[in-house]
Amino acid sequence: MSGNEWLIIGMIAGFLGLMIIGIPVAISLAVSGFIAGYLGFGSSLFNLMPARLFGVVTNYTLLAIPLFVFMGVMLEKSKVAENMLETIGKAMGGLNGGMGLAIILVGVLMGASTGIVGATVVTVGLLTLPALMRRGYSPSVSCGTICASGTLGQIIPPSLVLILLSDIVGESVGALFAAAFIPGLILAGIYILYLLLLGVFKKELVPAIPAEERAETSKKQLVKDLIAHVMPPLILVFAVLGSIVGGVAAPTEAASMGALGALMIAILSRRFSPALLKETLHGTLVISAMVFFILLCAQPFSLSFRGLGGEQMVHALFEMLPGGEFGAILFLMALLFILGFFLEWIEISYIALPMFLPVFMNYGTDMVWLAIMVAMNLQMSFLTPPFGWALFFLKGVAPKGITTRDIYVGALPFVALQLAALVVLFQFPALVTWLPEAIGW
Amino acid sequence: MRMTIRSLEWLVEQLGGLARFCVLALVLLVATNVILRYLFSIGPVSLQELEWHLVSPIALLGLAYSMKHRADVRIDVLYERFSMRAQALVDLVASLLTVAVGGIIAWLALDYVAQSYQLNEGSPDPGGLTMRYLLKAFIPFGFFLLVTQGVSDTLRAVVQFSDPENPMELPASLSSEASA
Amino acid sequence: APAIATAAASKETFNLKMTNAYPPGSPFYVQGPGSPMDFCKKVGEMSGGRLNISHFAAGELIPALEGFNAVAQGTVEMNAANAYFWAGKIPAAQFFTTVPFGLNTQGMMAWLYQGGGLKLWHELYEPYGLVAFPMGNTGVQMTGWFREPIETLKDLEGLKMRIPGLAGKVYSELGVTVRLLPGGEIFPALERGVIDAAEFVGPYQDRRLGLHKAAKNYYTTGWHEPTNVTELLINKKVWDSMPKDLQMIIQLAAQASVLESLSWSEANNSDALKDLVENEGVIAKPLPAPIVSRLKEVTADTLLTMANADAQMKTVYDSYMAFKDKHASWAALSEKPLLNM
Ligand code: NA
Ligand code: NA
Repeated sequence: MSGNEWLIIGMIAGFLGLMIIGIPVAISLAVSGFIAGYLGFGSSLFNLMPARLFGVVTNYTLLAIPLFVFMGVMLEKSKVAENMLETIGKAMGGLNGGMGLAIILVGVLMGASTGIVGATVVTVGLLTLPALMRRGYSPSVSCGTICASGTLGQIIPPSLVLILLSDIVGESVGALFAAAFIPGLILAGIYILYLLLLGVFKKELVPAIPAEERAETSKKQLVKDLIAHVMPPLILVFAVLGSIVGGVAAPTEAASMGALGALMIAILSRRFSPALLKETLHGTLVISAMVFFILLCAQPFSLSFRGLGGEQMVHALFEMLPGGEFGAILFLMALLFILGFFLEWIEISYIALPMFLPVFMNYGTDMVWLAIMVAMNLQMSFLTPPFGWALFFLKGVAPKGITTRDIYVGALPFVALQLAALVVLFQFPALVTWLPEAIGW
Repeated sequence: MRMTIRSLEWLVEQLGGLARFCVLALVLLVATNVILRYLFSIGPVSLQELEWHLVSPIALLGLAYSMKHRADVRIDVLYERFSMRAQALVDLVASLLTVAVGGIIAWLALDYVAQSYQLNEGSPDPGGLTMRYLLKAFIPFGFFLLVTQGVSDTLRAVVQFSDPENPMELPASLSSEASA
Repeated sequence: APAIATAAASKETFNLKMTNAYPPGSPFYVQGPGSPMDFCKKVGEMSGGRLNISHFAAGELIPALEGFNAVAQGTVEMNAANAYFWAGKIPAAQFFTTVPFGLNTQGMMAWLYQGGGLKLWHELYEPYGLVAFPMGNTGVQMTGWFREPIETLKDLEGLKMRIPGLAGKVYSELGVTVRLLPGGEIFPALERGVIDAAEFVGPYQDRRLGLHKAAKNYYTTGWHEPTNVTELLINKKVWDSMPKDLQMIIQLAAQASVLESLSWSEANNSDALKDLVENEGVIAKPLPAPIVSRLKEVTADTLLTMANADAQMKTVYDSYMAFKDKHASWAALSEKPLLNM
């Protein structure tokens, strides 16, 4: 191996090392990137850094982060979220895992309105984690469910991953959006099935609200509560979705409808006060900046990865590509999975995919299907410890007492469920290709 | 030393106030743009550009602010098992590295902003916003502010080492608020 | 000694980086016949490996529109884009891509290569330490996709359209609400009716984005972009340090790319348009004459006002317009009757 290749390996090891002893993730990324890059190619390439940082803070689609976080924090501070979950928990009756299902539902609905993992995970985490803890859910199951639900937005359209992939594979954005719809629901279905099974076999991890407490609320009161507590946030999510579907707002700007709606709910429920607004702005700023901090500090790391020839290293792996369409797909999936341990998905798509595509074109692989397989795999990389964006973002908003270990342990079963979903799509490609053909996209 | 820490963090907090205002402005602006366009077909290019212009101060002035409020993401698998002294040491190293990273990026970005100023860079769209260098200036400014917070955290760690009996009060952390 | 120096110089190898304003995988703009990646490959072969240009699509090294600054600064040696992206720094630059109701492709090539256009371009970029050459051309573009038919000027009032740049300003004078949107959001926005109309490129590229699934009225022709020149931007210090033969290779490879990309576009657009109309139910038709003449009036005013406000732009404007007048009288007697035959 060449010197630069050792530097790349050193950079990855250095990053993991700094991160594991408790240096902030963002700082670990930047430090390892700067040092390895400086040793490898001096300071020249780093002159491109400011342009990359500028690209991050002026990225139009990232507008959705502060907007959705505002919505989440406002709902949390005004106790709307808490009341909603409590009521859902009661309405689910003796069904163990019932509140967990609510989270997946929120994840699906939020995923249908944005493609930004940071925004969804953070919002769902803020909304639900404290209530779940109080209700005696296992920390790791809760964290895993939140992270997995939060990443559903990547596959459920509209999604950033699909937009980028559409360019790379040369299929229309619409075709990929339509193709991802059923797989996204399948994934959500698999998550739900998992929680229901936990509810049957390990009910102490996902307990229902105790019968005596449920008995305190009459049927009539419960219906009232459902209307009072569940309707407003549900209307909110439908407002976001509805403004996209109804042609009022483009996907990114639709997030503002959620933020504005959360403000209105707080005002109408007489919980609004200047102090509440200030707290909400504080929370939104701190959480949004935390997400941007990691996105910004990932830039020195990925710039050095490129500058040191990381791309060529991946290309060299490509030489090991086995023959046959089946082997090639397995190899691609494995490679994406491994790269997902330390690279972010944009960098992975840019580096790995352009090499593979010509091979699959030769095999006559359906590019829409391949793109969805890739998107699903990239989504999985958000969940894989140790470097999964969803895991970091949740850690940032988790209450004290939730450890990184809880989050890591909780994410693992969902990684396995994702693998299962990939196998299903592999066996039944029509699940992907049917809808775009049926509606003519 | 405690005095210095308080004044550095006062600065971070004040500029954080500006960024908080930008969050509110962003929410209202994007919603207003959507509503004006849908109901009245009004949509000035300048107001559309202002949307993503507001993200820059939120993200960059927010860096130091989120650091001050302990909202940085850390992996605590080993950290939580360390002794107090070892934790303080990790904190010290983290703050020194923060100062270094912030300093390097702020320094790298100076030329970038200067070039934009010399080019008198503005929006390529007629009716768009001018003076794009002001927008770009948030990069060195935000990272310089991060250095400020990093220095403050370094001093905190030194206080922790030299006078462990009298730890400085920490600013309210995000997670304790979130769970409150 | 001079002979030895020349021999030494000619053995020198140049390892350069080229960034691109367009995302990875884009046909024409990034890869395929006559594209920037194709250019890099050809230059490498023609120079026997003395010119190695590594190509980076938008976002791979720097974001889409940061190429100008990066090449001026010298961190990257080359960039592929369109000059009108730099209008926020150099308003006159847009004339080197296209302007509404401006020269057609033949006229544009004639002005650039024979009418002093290229020389003006170089003078304009000299203070920034840059050299530029045409490196591609999409040919004429299309007015765009409209959800509802456009029959009168009244139909434009309150119409929400995705259209960037100078043409957006002209449309807005006619009551159109201009919406800026990144490429990926055009389709969902048009499909759901957040916008009523969208402009992108031409039949081949538009079909790839799926715009025909979102709106069926495809208006023509590209009054707003009668031609569209791809710009090869080079850091001048690097350019000046190159031996004559390598400079010549770059210039001629760029010219070859213009020819190849243009003929590629013409061929693929005819196929794509046929497919759109015959298989996708797209209605392709010219914009009604009263609308065109109103757009033309407003464009003339807008360009003149802008030129009068900027001395550099005035110089380029004068040269361009003088050439256009001359060329228009010739084309009226040569090309126009030919197309009507
Ligand atoms: Na989504
Ligand atoms: Na990962």
